[in-house]
Amino acid sequence: MSDSAGVKDVTAEKPAETKEAVELTAGDRQKVVTPEYMFFEAPRERAFITGSEAAKEAIRRSNVDVAISYPITPQSETMQQVGSLWAEGYVKEYYRGEEEIGVMSAIAGSSRAGARSMTATAGPGLMRGMEVIASWPGGRIPAVLLIMCRVVNAPLAIQPDNVELAYLLNCGIILLHGENQQDFFDYTMKAFLISERPEITLPVAVAVDGFFVTHARGYVNLPSKDIKLPPRDPYAEAVPAMDNENPPARLSRDAPIQKSNFISYQVHASWQQEVWAANERARRYINKYMGGLIEVVNPDAEIMLIASGSAVSQSREAVRQAEEEHNTKVGLIKVRSIRPFPTPELRAACKHAKRIIVPEFNYMGWLHREIVTALYGHSKAEIFAGPRVYGGMSMPTEMILQTIFPEKKFIF
Amino acid sequence: MSVKNISITPGWEKYMTKEYQDLVERGPYGKQKKVSEMGSFKEVLEEHPMCAGCAMTLFIRLTMVGLPNPEHTVLIGTAGCGRLALTQTSIPFIYGNYGDTNAVASGLKRGLEVRFKDQAKDVVVMAGDGGLADIGFSAVMHSWFRKERFTTIMLDNEVYGNTGGQESGMTERGALLKMAPKGKMFEKMDMMGLAQTAGVAYIARLTPTNPTRVASVVRKAVMIAREVGPTFIQAYTSCNIEYAIPTPKVLDDAREIEAKRYGFTEIISDEAKAYLDSIDTSKKVKK
Amino acid sequence: MLKRYNIRMAGIGGQGVVTASHILSNGMVINGGESTLVPFFGSEKRMAPVESYVRIAIDRIYEIGEIIYPNVIMIFHPQVITHGKSYTMPFYSGLKPNGVVLINSDTPIALQPDEVRELEERHARIHYLPATTMAREVGGTDLATNMAMVGAIASILGIPDMPSLEQSVRERFLGKGFVVSGGTAALDNVIEKKFAKKEQLLKSNMAVIAAAYQYAQDHGWAAKPQKASV
Repeated sequence: MSDSAGVKDVTAEKPAETKEAVELTAGDRQKVVTPEYMFFEAPRERAFITGSEAAKEAIRRSNVDVAISYPITPQSETMQQVGSLWAEGYVKEYYRGEEEIGVMSAIAGSSRAGARSMTATAGPGLMRGMEVIASWPGGRIPAVLLIMCRVVNAPLAIQPDNVELAYLLNCGIILLHGENQQDFFDYTMKAFLISERPEITLPVAVAVDGFFVTHARGYVNLPSKDIKLPPRDPYAEAVPAMDNENPPARLSRDAPIQKSNFISYQVHASWQQEVWAANERARRYINKYMGGLIEVVNPDAEIMLIASGSAVSQSREAVRQAEEEHNTKVGLIKVRSIRPFPTPELRAACKHAKRIIVPEFNYMGWLHREIVTALYGHSKAEIFAGPRVYGGMSMPTEMILQTIFPEKKFIF
Repeated sequence: MSVKNISITPGWEKYMTKEYQDLVERGPYGKQKKVSEMGSFKEVLEEHPMCAGCAMTLFIRLTMVGLPNPEHTVLIGTAGCGRLALTQTSIPFIYGNYGDTNAVASGLKRGLEVRFKDQAKDVVVMAGDGGLADIGFSAVMHSWFRKERFTTIMLDNEVYGNTGGQESGMTERGALLKMAPKGKMFEKMDMMGLAQTAGVAYIARLTPTNPTRVASVVRKAVMIAREVGPTFIQAYTSCNIEYAIPTPKVLDDAREIEAKRYGFTEIISDEAKAYLDSIDTSKKVKK
Repeated sequence: MLKRYNIRMAGIGGQGVVTASHILSNGMVINGGESTLVPFFGSEKRMAPVESYVRIAIDRIYEIGEIIYPNVIMIFHPQVITHGKSYTMPFYSGLKPNGVVLINSDTPIALQPDEVRELEERHARIHYLPATTMAREVGGTDLATNMAMVGAIASILGIPDMPSLEQSVRERFLGKGFVVSGGTAALDNVIEKKFAKKEQLLKSNMAVIAAAYQYAQDHGWAAKPQKASV
């Protein structure tokens, strides 16, 4: 007999025999290894590949459940290649979403389902998805977002200006800024682990400057593709998965807006504090897996360059030329993590500095502002606002040298 | 979350609230409840802050009875009146961003399918006409074109009720509302037609005038979504505040609108029909 | 001895400027050095200006992106100078002192007096290579102009060596993970139709490279190894 609703539900539990028909995928054949083995012990081979290919190789080894794509230059190549990983069986689920609001929302959905989820975007795509991305940290959504920086403002351009990262600084997302193809590979894999820690449970964005990293080839040391990271455990996170296998966190369903103002203030205050505390707790794993929030070259130098992303590469060349051709030791601080920001690390590393130079690939100089805020009252150094290039132009090393040695002539 | 998961550890019954004990013992987990039994068991929708006499609340209650598998269902909503009630159900509810429901549902459903190979997990979107036809339009249409396997239920009150009565795409032409000071200038959007164009497997339009029908339509929609493809229910759930319908007359209004322009309609794909036939041994399913 | 060159290549769409930069860059890597390359073009189209930037070095390269201050400039088509078909005007802008300019032209181009003076002030070494003529005569097609340019510059700079260049050409045309644009893939097809066999294409390309390499040697363009002042 059917019930009064007219339809009997006979299909909720799938018959057991469907299980046997499943064939092993390429991903199934990979061996799960510990993060420590993957990052530090596994033998690596040197490859000469583009940043997009480096991202693909990272995803191949990251035991990813769901990847959702949407094209935008210069990101498209990466998510295309992640698509091939799905076709090859290394990624379990993949589709092209309708646009970035849809994609970022779907990532929120798949992550809430307890699946390890990732996507990638660039410039205007990041801006379009921003409403959703800014809500991920409050949703305590572990996911990895790859960003290939490009111009966001009019007039339209596709080159790698990285002003878009400024828009991410205040939403609670963990933000790592890679220098080159090797960083893109390493940071991406580590991002999944950091993101899913129970004491963190936040999205992690891994940014590189587009084209310079994504479309140019560089040396990347890769572990074997026969190994992969351990899977996500959605029951060992700050907020349980919305899979209806356990009661959901109250906040996943109720918005404070439905409560009295004072309950709303209180809920929001404690939640925001917790999001930012979780963001700070990522330090421990950035130190453990990535060798620290900053890297310091020539720590005793009186002139220190502080940079992130591609500006670090240009700065390294400036440091070398200053030493080899101008007999001057110049220091360099590479900022790997923008959120959490390495405030105590920078204060310690800049103690002896007399001049600090901050080369940036954007007009308004977001890194300079961060550094000035961090060092205020902790350094007597002159902090130079620049040099900067705009619209995605690459910074000639000569510009940095000209700032280091104002009395010499580098620019023709 | 099977009924086993929510069951009380023996010996601890007296420490749990009466409401919880009722939910475990008499609630709809693990057993299908009938509409005629409403009031005799602990419903999954607890007390709610909706306006008195709200037709949407009635529709949501009936939907909850209709869900074929509440212990393995996840609800998704967005800003609007509906979520005031939906957050009060004993079913996980995701309240995301504006107009993101069908995109979130796409990711959620696929993520659940990756993780649960042997247990169907039903995903049901319930959102308003503004959330689905206006701000969430692109996500709705694309989820249908992609044949995402979840149910979309539009609580169509033909107005932005929660923000104080503004015109929506589903408002009737000529209706005088906020942001439509000269009356709405264009027709009510044909979401049923769009659903058909997009290849939705099961489309139904109805009002809450026939409680059993609501539960039946919801059950069919959720089950077809699980096995065949996307399903869409467009339900007239009037806003008695913004349309100034006297509270005791809410159902009269529903009957009147139903007779005039909101008659019960089902559009079922051949594949969905074949599926319904295959499970309906008693041949009692209409059409 | 330290060797490091920052090369700006300028030409027009369809000449294989980006392909030339790939071959030179990959040749340097095969040779055991390092190289980075950044192609630059607007919307891809035939006869529109194209630039490509290549860094080649024997030791580690850190820098990325376009090269604003090159010490080597390669002009693949005389119209880059005579018609201003270039993203960088004048064609030698940013050239560092003692730099090299290699121009594809059968005869020297009449430059403006200001240009002549500025190039002299920078002690630029300017070489005119009849690359297209050579490509036609040795390789049987104008499309090998880029090969002549690559052969000559390798001869002038001393890196990469010929076996590495040959390997690079082989990898480029026998497909070893090179990502080419749609337009380039279409051109490849045109070339392939002309040469039924890829091996024949390879031989022909290598012959052009070798001829240009020798041409530069014969004219004494090959610079003595020097410390780069990049």
